[in-house]
Amino acid sequence: MLSNIIGGFTAVLAPAPMLGIALGVCVGIVFGAIPGISGIMAIAIMLPLTFYFDPVVGIVTLLAVYKAGIYGGSISAILINTPGAAASFLTSLDGHALARAGKAGKALCLALYASVTGEVLATLVLIFVAAPISLLSLQAGPIEKVWLLVFAFTVVGSMTGESVPRGLLSCCLGMLFAMVGMSAVTGAARLTFGIPELLSGFTFLPLLIGVLVMPEVVEGVRRRKTPQHELVLRHSPDPADNRLSFREYRSVFGTILKSTGIGTVVGALPGLGSSAAAFLAYGEAKRASKEPESFGKGSLHGIAAAESSNNAVCGSSMIPMLTLSIPGDDVTALLMGAFLIHGITPGPTIFYEHTDTIYAIFAGFLMVDLLLLVIARFGFRFWMRVASVRTCFIFPCVFAFAVIGAFTTNQSLNDILILLVFTVLGYGMRLVGLNPAAFIIGFILMPIFEQNLDQAVSIVGGDYLRLLGSPIGWGFIALAALSVWSAIRMNRKTRLRALAASQ
Amino acid sequence: MNRRYVDVVLGSVLIAAAILILTREGLAQGGVETQLGSMFMPRVVAGLILIFAAMIAIASLRQIIAQSPLAPQETIATEGLGGVLIYVGIFAAYWWLLPTLGFVVATSAAMFAIAVLLGGRSWLAMAAISIAVPVVTFYGCRELIRVYLPEWSL
Repeated sequence: MLSNIIGGFTAVLAPAPMLGIALGVCVGIVFGAIPGISGIMAIAIMLPLTFYFDPVVGIVTLLAVYKAGIYGGSISAILINTPGAAASFLTSLDGHALARAGKAGKALCLALYASVTGEVLATLVLIFVAAPISLLSLQAGPIEKVWLLVFAFTVVGSMTGESVPRGLLSCCLGMLFAMVGMSAVTGAARLTFGIPELLSGFTFLPLLIGVLVMPEVVEGVRRRKTPQHELVLRHSPDPADNRLSFREYRSVFGTILKSTGIGTVVGALPGLGSSAAAFLAYGEAKRASKEPESFGKGSLHGIAAAESSNNAVCGSSMIPMLTLSIPGDDVTALLMGAFLIHGITPGPTIFYEHTDTIYAIFAGFLMVDLLLLVIARFGFRFWMRVASVRTCFIFPCVFAFAVIGAFTTNQSLNDILILLVFTVLGYGMRLVGLNPAAFIIGFILMPIFEQNLDQAVSIVGGDYLRLLGSPIGWGFIALAALSVWSAIRMNRKTRLRALAASQ
Repeated sequence: MNRRYVDVVLGSVLIAAAILILTREGLAQGGVETQLGSMFMPRVVAGLILIFAAMIAIASLRQIIAQSPLAPQETIATEGLGGVLIYVGIFAAYWWLLPTLGFVVATSAAMFAIAVLLGGRSWLAMAAISIAVPVVTFYGCRELIRVYLPEWSL
């Protein structure tokens, strides 16, 4: 493994990947820092551009956008009390309290150091855990993969939706749209209703941008009359208030370690995401603190817990995607799409078929952390200005880039129509409580599921009971049932708690 | 807006679509014969959609009948939806006019219209961005990545 890691660093420490990482970090921070625009929007817009890059350069650029986008969310959270990403909500509680007290520099420094520490540690876990898991999952044949994917559908559908039926319905709708066009197994034209343009199915990128990215712009249009927060900074005359001393960093290091652990575990479980990790870690830090009353009023431990945990999710959320081809959330679904577009199929064989590429990507992960630290630290003043750019300048640009992204795939105007249709569909899904991430995951995994099911049925012949004959398969069936049961239980608890609170 | 009514209507539409997929012949044309057939998975998924859509619609219908109080997520915020319709209209007009006006003109006009819709009143800055971004991306795509965006065809 060590030689692979060294080989990975050799591949990444070249001008093209480093430029890609630097570009990705800048784009990610900008998109993360502007309220109402998320890192996922940046990844979707950058994705078509990376078609023309080498796979390593393209993928590390997108990973840089992802990681920097999560950190960027904390900038607007601290400075203008408007989280650029949902996961930064808790950072805004303590970070903005510090900024109001004239200690914005200290809050921004801590958010950056906690983010980078969390990311580095989670990346190390990814590097050392992913390959052994993939060894285990190599034992799985088509029958086991069918049950693994059933588990993936149920866990993603049941955990990501507002309720279990809504999550699973979103996933099923994604699966249905994936089956429109020529079947990869039989070659039949399915569900095209005689429209020849549908024979090739729905193009992935316009659909993805339409469902995940454009609804954020549409929501911005709906809320256009809500006044934007203005950036008003108070500067403390004491220089110590605008930096973080080593002593202060050391005092929160324990919280960072614990929160990184929570973020890593939560990230490795599909369907939970960085917001859940931040809430869990923040709650635990508050519970364990000697001064719990300081949380929400400018606690350094609060910022450290929220930032290290939500950034730790970046690394560990790649574990199920790379080893089992299960994207746990919308961002990993998008990244899985990027891997597929670059000709790399995530799954157990990735470590054997693309050894050099995958270890170069791992090395790229660590280099992203390094460049994020440098670029974010030395550009504080610039990023502070970025956070207050008005949406009337940004959203029209997002529109233009989304159209270019949709058009680039096939250079076809039909793809712009697909973008329009799925923009409306994606926004409608949000209004009725359906989950766009579950939809996309269903769309991506369906062709893989259908191929494996076809192979599994060919193996068992007419004896379908043999599909239930694998102990690994039993494990996945049990996990699927457990995920649905625990999601139902969790939803019921939340409903009862809300009912009790309202009474 | 009460989302429960939307749930019932949407559930009914999805159930009708699922029944169509489950019962109608000829939704798959051509292809080789396999053990499961081309329509096996679409029908399984349609069956699941039918079940989940029915679960959502029935639960909402029961709550409508019982007149139980609305949870926060069961209210659809309608303020500003007029702007959303205008945005979709701009997008549809953009798609319609793109082959005729070309990328640079159509995108500049659409970007400016969206900026105005978003409440922007810095006319000069908005006009500069609306012209600069399409021009730069048009030539950038053509020269750097060999993507030929639609040109003026009048």
